[in-house]
Amino acid sequence: MRNLFAMARRIIRQIVRDRRTLALLIIAPLLILTLVWYIFGAKTAEPKLAIIHYESSDYLSAFKKDDYQRMSALQARQALADKEIDAYIDLKNPVSVHLEGSDPSRNGLVMNKVQQSMQKIQQINVTSMKNQLTDVIKAEQKGMMVQQQTIRQMTEAMQRYAPGALAQIMQQAPKTSQPEEPKTPEKVSLDVSYLHGNDDLNTFDAFGPAMVGIFVFLFIFMIGGVSFLRERTTGTLDRLMASPIKNYQIIGGYMIGFGLFVIVQSFVLTCYIAYVLNIYNVGNLLDVLIIVFILSFSALSLSILLSTFASNELQMFQFIPLVIVPQVFLSGLFPIDTLPGWVRAVGNLMPIHYSTEALRNIMIRGTGFSGWWFDAAILILFSVVFMIINIFAIRRSRPVTD
Amino acid sequence: MSYPIKGEHLHKHFKKQVVLDDVSLTLQEGEIYGLIGPSGSGKTTLVRILLGLEKADSGKIELFERRPTLNAFRSLGYMAQSDALYNELSAYQNLEFFASIQGMHGKEKKQRILEVAKAVDLDQHLQKNVSNFSGGMKRRLSLAAALVHSPRLYLLDEPTVGLDPVIRRKLWTLFHYLKGKGATIIVTTHVMDEVAQCDRVGLLSTGRIIAEGAPKALTAQYGVSTVEDIFIAIEKEADGN
Repeated sequence: MRNLFAMARRIIRQIVRDRRTLALLIIAPLLILTLVWYIFGAKTAEPKLAIIHYESSDYLSAFKKDDYQRMSALQARQALADKEIDAYIDLKNPVSVHLEGSDPSRNGLVMNKVQQSMQKIQQINVTSMKNQLTDVIKAEQKGMMVQQQTIRQMTEAMQRYAPGALAQIMQQAPKTSQPEEPKTPEKVSLDVSYLHGNDDLNTFDAFGPAMVGIFVFLFIFMIGGVSFLRERTTGTLDRLMASPIKNYQIIGGYMIGFGLFVIVQSFVLTCYIAYVLNIYNVGNLLDVLIIVFILSFSALSLSILLSTFASNELQMFQFIPLVIVPQVFLSGLFPIDTLPGWVRAVGNLMPIHYSTEALRNIMIRGTGFSGWWFDAAILILFSVVFMIINIFAIRRSRPVTD
Repeated sequence: MSYPIKGEHLHKHFKKQVVLDDVSLTLQEGEIYGLIGPSGSGKTTLVRILLGLEKADSGKIELFERRPTLNAFRSLGYMAQSDALYNELSAYQNLEFFASIQGMHGKEKKQRILEVAKAVDLDQHLQKNVSNFSGGMKRRLSLAAALVHSPRLYLLDEPTVGLDPVIRRKLWTLFHYLKGKGATIIVTTHVMDEVAQCDRVGLLSTGRIIAEGAPKALTAQYGVSTVEDIFIAIEKEADGN
């Protein structure tokens, strides 16, 4: 026990005295998350659009001046080439859209906007059709009124000269009933409701849980791995091996020593995203903290394990593209449901995958313990497995004794 | 007479290269044993195998006349070629850590740290960061870390390499002092004037101990003036056959 705490105490002292490492551990994730927050949290930009051949068009009213610049065909083509506008719309019949096209997300924005305008065009068409119909009906009504006048005059003449025949005709004539006024159709509106989240949920709110996992993992991985690697390269591990300290005490000491900073880091980070960046969170903040904390441990144990296979710092960093980058892509940042089975299977082996799942459940879906215990359990399992392998890996450095 | 360390018929090879070829070595209590030989002759490997940091392909090791156990490490001080210190920590914190994992604590630990620091002339620099130490200071601190738990057996791998003659002499005075207190020391070295200070030396060449004995007896036996010349004499003998 004493050895364990001597180990932990030494690691804590090392980190405290190494300001750079301390900063990398605690401040760097905050800085990067802030950056990510600005990038993904920003309101989506309005597309810049223009219309041409609008002078004689009936549809001009569908394209508001605020949203669509008026340009000549030549101007528009030039502006499109210079990327001053994202698209222009030719109002000559049939209406056509010309996009700049190099950025899919902007293309989407443009088409969204244009579709809204196209709906207005349809309304304009409907209204003009209605007006035409009304005119036709009115003309027919006029004709009918003239006929009725004639009939009335004929009736008067018959009353005077042949009242008997008139009475007969009146009896045989079918009763006409006045047609009912057509009902105006009810206005249809869409009632949108969200099971989770709301329409204010921006990209950062959705990415946030994955991002937190990725950066916590990355920084702990680097610092933990290099610090254990140094133990090997400077020869201090040999000195430990030539002392009565037990293998599990070395690994355990690392876990406790780093654990302290991991608690601090998780706490600072969680509070920061919740209260400063105001990330969407309907769950319990303590649950978030627990997940971040557990994830850090799996990062630490994995990094110590991999440092066994590295013989210098460079080789340690060579693990980053191998271990971290795939986790970024398979973490749940991007949908992976459509990927081939083996890719999804690889994704299931990645700690960040589980932390993202758990954090999304907590922060966006607001589930309690029942929603994240499974992911948390898997993360703990990762840590335990890595730690046990670590203890055996160290054994190789002290093969004679047991 | 007991044997603090005993290795019998040790063989070791890395890939195709034979590093140790049937080496047997027994240390007697209270002696300074010098392991000498050109670089690449297997000195460091032999020390590491004796310590249990590496496994011999075949052969037997005994520490304090027993199969090595973790507990035996309590009586063992090891200093490697690298300084093996924590650069972020102060000299005191380094010694404090190594003393702690050797099971020392409390007042005893503090006192002992001051004692060893004085012995290696670093008592004025205990609060300094190791990263600010010169090469010689690191070397001395590294030695202090091997001494801190007052072991009975020292394995020192090139303890004086890169040190100036004054400090070197001081350290050897220290080794003799430790020996006087009953400790056994095995030390590897290149430096020939250090060889004369050993009670016994073993000459290691290409994985074999080619000669072993008190320096004076050896030079007399081969009829040469220095231990260094023994290597040449033996080589000539081999060529002659």
